[in-house]
Amino acid sequence: MKNGFIRALTCLLLLAGAWTAQAQKFIFTPQWTAQAQFAGYYVAYEQGFYREAGLDVEIVHPSLSKTALRRISDNESQATTLQLCQALEIIDSGVPLVNILQTSMNNSLVIVSRKDEDPLLQKGMRVGTWSIGFDQMAICMSLKEGLDYQWIPFNSGLNLFLSGAIDATLAMSYNEANQLLEAGFKVSDSNTYRFCEHGYNVQEDGVYMTRQYYESHKEQARKFAEASRRGWEWAVEHPDETLEIVMDYVTRNHIATNRVMQKLMLEEILRLLVDRESGQREYRLRPDMVKLANSLMLENQLLLRGVPYDELIAR
Amino acid sequence: MKRLLRFFRQSLTAKISLWIAILTGLVFLASLGFMFSQSRRSVRTEAINRAEQVLDNTVQRVTNILDRVVVATNNTDWLIARHLDAPDSMMVYSRRILENNPDLNGCSISFEPYYFPERGKYFSAFSLRENGEILSTQEGSPNYEYFTFDWYQLAKLLDRPCWTEPFFDNNPDNIYSTDIIASYCKPIKDNKGTYIGTISVDLSLEWLSNTISAVKPYPNSYSIMTGRGGTFFVHPDSTKLFFQTIFTETLDHEDPDRYALGKAMQAGEEGMKQLKINGENCYVLYKPLGETSWSVAIVCPERDILSGYKRLLKAVLIIFFLGLILMLDFINRVINHELQPLGKLTEQTKTIAGGNFYEELPDEGRIDEIGQLSQSFTEMQQSLVNYVCELKDTTAQKASIENELKVASDIQMSMVPRIFPPFPNRDDIDLFASMTPAKEVGGDLYDFFIQDEKLYFCIGDVSGKGVPASLFMAVTRNLFRIIAQQGHTPENIATQINSVLSRDNDQGMFVTMFIARADLKTGAMSFCNCGHNPPVIVRPGEPAEFLPLKHANMPLGVWDGGEFSGESLSDIRDSVFLLYTDGLNEAENEHKDLLGNDAVLRIMTESAQKNAHDIIVDLQLAVEHHRAGVIPNDDLTLLCLRLLKNQA
Repeated sequence: MKNGFIRALTCLLLLAGAWTAQAQKFIFTPQWTAQAQFAGYYVAYEQGFYREAGLDVEIVHPSLSKTALRRISDNESQATTLQLCQALEIIDSGVPLVNILQTSMNNSLVIVSRKDEDPLLQKGMRVGTWSIGFDQMAICMSLKEGLDYQWIPFNSGLNLFLSGAIDATLAMSYNEANQLLEAGFKVSDSNTYRFCEHGYNVQEDGVYMTRQYYESHKEQARKFAEASRRGWEWAVEHPDETLEIVMDYVTRNHIATNRVMQKLMLEEILRLLVDRESGQREYRLRPDMVKLANSLMLENQLLLRGVPYDELIAR
Repeated sequence: MKRLLRFFRQSLTAKISLWIAILTGLVFLASLGFMFSQSRRSVRTEAINRAEQVLDNTVQRVTNILDRVVVATNNTDWLIARHLDAPDSMMVYSRRILENNPDLNGCSISFEPYYFPERGKYFSAFSLRENGEILSTQEGSPNYEYFTFDWYQLAKLLDRPCWTEPFFDNNPDNIYSTDIIASYCKPIKDNKGTYIGTISVDLSLEWLSNTISAVKPYPNSYSIMTGRGGTFFVHPDSTKLFFQTIFTETLDHEDPDRYALGKAMQAGEEGMKQLKINGENCYVLYKPLGETSWSVAIVCPERDILSGYKRLLKAVLIIFFLGLILMLDFINRVINHELQPLGKLTEQTKTIAGGNFYEELPDEGRIDEIGQLSQSFTEMQQSLVNYVCELKDTTAQKASIENELKVASDIQMSMVPRIFPPFPNRDDIDLFASMTPAKEVGGDLYDFFIQDEKLYFCIGDVSGKGVPASLFMAVTRNLFRIIAQQGHTPENIATQINSVLSRDNDQGMFVTMFIARADLKTGAMSFCNCGHNPPVIVRPGEPAEFLPLKHANMPLGVWDGGEFSGESLSDIRDSVFLLYTDGLNEAENEHKDLLGNDAVLRIMTESAQKNAHDIIVDLQLAVEHHRAGVIPNDDLTLLCLRLLKNQA
């Protein structure tokens, strides 16, 4: 299903042909609905960092009928956020993308088991995964460890998990893991597998645009990346004000969430900005992580070819 | 505060009233406390029972509706299984469910990918009630991959019928619909028992939500409904609906009670918990909703449940305190009334104490303690009157006796020479004497006179004190004067006086005496000491000493027939001679310490150069100083003599 979607996206992008640059409007579409995961961009907009950079940025969130990738493919948005593994898959499918800003320095993926038992010990269990992806590292791990997990795609929410229809679920440490806590479920070291701690620490969110657009709008891309980075730094220094901004976006977009959850998400997202090894917020793709992601995905046939680091970055 | 305490100390009425009030208050409070504790429990139990009943009724009503959905589904799924060879019939069935059940919103009969190969990957027969019409369509598509939706997967994965969580009815064009629905889903199986799809029947929860929201057994109570994840699907605060779970706030600050409630509701338990919600004590009764994984709860603030009880408590406490104040006032008045005679008695006893012993005491004819006290006072008053009369008589008698004693004292004092210097025409005799009785009259005596150039002098101390001693003293002094004038030696004088005194001496009285006769020409002195203190002699240039005595004669009057021995000194001129009674050396102070012989000798040594009068004064001052205000314990008589050479 997922590969089909990527192929469709590739066709759309190819059909789009030469990029018809829209005026000066720069539409940025985060890959998911409004939440603290995208706090830095909200801050950059609300604090006027984009405006100061001479950019006319508009943040447009995706809808079920208009996903972020579809908006990119339809030339309705100029940039979006993607996880590194997603970007590799899209590039592999023939759509050249450029990473203009890397925010995540760590992998947030976890597997949480209903039973109070290490997920690595539960071979063949049903594991919930997002129907739209984010599961590359989990598939690689399952194959490599011979766990033979049965992947159950879900749209959103944790009802399958909470009802016992599945044995475990994939979760982002900043989102679903907190949602489980909010549902009264105990997430502990004994029932949780953290990919970042087991040799699968592959970076996640970064800002991507098509290489074609990038080549003709390098300065715009550079300015957007710089202003966004300012936004994230401001968020780190002003977490309370940032939470207010996030809540404003959440309310405007009628998102079924609350301040407590967004606060927890923001804290975790800001933590993920810091590289585990250097202790710094580096805002860069790490070549070793790109290499690791390529290696794992090629090994498990999630990529047909390797995507070298140079092909990803903005030059 | 001090004034208040003083008031209570001074007023018996206030004290008794206060004690009664305190004791009554304690008894009442204890009784009320027990009664209200029991009442509170009863009220609480009754209120909880009532809320429980309301909750049961609500759950039953909602369950009835939910059961209709289950029945409608069960009535159709067997038909589906029988017509798996005719995909189009699925449209008919999904439509028929809605036609037969006006409560239902939609129905989809959806199949696994490519189950009907000729229909492609997607086949989901969906009927929807919209604006009173039923629309049917095949809704599966790349944009709507129904296989991943909860309503499809729950039945498939759980392999049993179940209810989904309530959700916003969404479609690709409007994901923010406000219509909340829940689906009852049931797996469809072929004749081999293999899962082939899911039948899902949608029910709008508007009615359910309204029904549960309307449950309000108490003015401030409210109802909530949570799903299996604890999400609020019914809550009076609309900002929490779908946006928060019962656990959300526990992530921000620990709240074990709320967490426990959430877990109990999540586990489908039924019961009641007491916890604080927004700082207010609440009772939460919860109960699972039929076969769903939802739970309904009624939150009843304690102030609601106990409002009637608290009103009653307040009213009773007000009545209690008002009653207590009234009772205090009443008791105060009663005691005041009862104790009124005491007040009169007090006033009249004050009058009596002021000297008016004939003031009439009140007689109110009471026979109680007050009456008895009044009677006792009357008796006491009579006794007092009698006593005062007696006292008057006694005082009069005493005054008479005192007067007589005064006369006796004067007579006694007139019996001894009191004019000094006694021999003003003689320069060779320096003599001074004094007699101070301890009582009005005393038993001491002294005397002196000159006859034939001989100075006869004596000092004596009669046994006992007072009038008997004074009479004995008078007899002794007269005997001395009469016998001495006959020119006898001191021992003869003593012998004769003893002879007279011991005769008919039934009282057994006696007198110690020092009798002396000094030859004024030669300074020779003969003397006889009859049991008396040895005189003090201060020879020129020498310290004072007690005159050494060779013979110890008995006092006079003890026994008739004894012989008295005399002694003599060759020349006493220029020496100071002191005769004294034991009122001098045995003068006592408050500690019963005696002045002592040593002190007498010391004073005499120090004062030897002075004249007889000054020596006597020094000794009297020393005695007064030693006594330091203590009443004299004995008569004090002093006689000081110094004969001077060559001046006769």
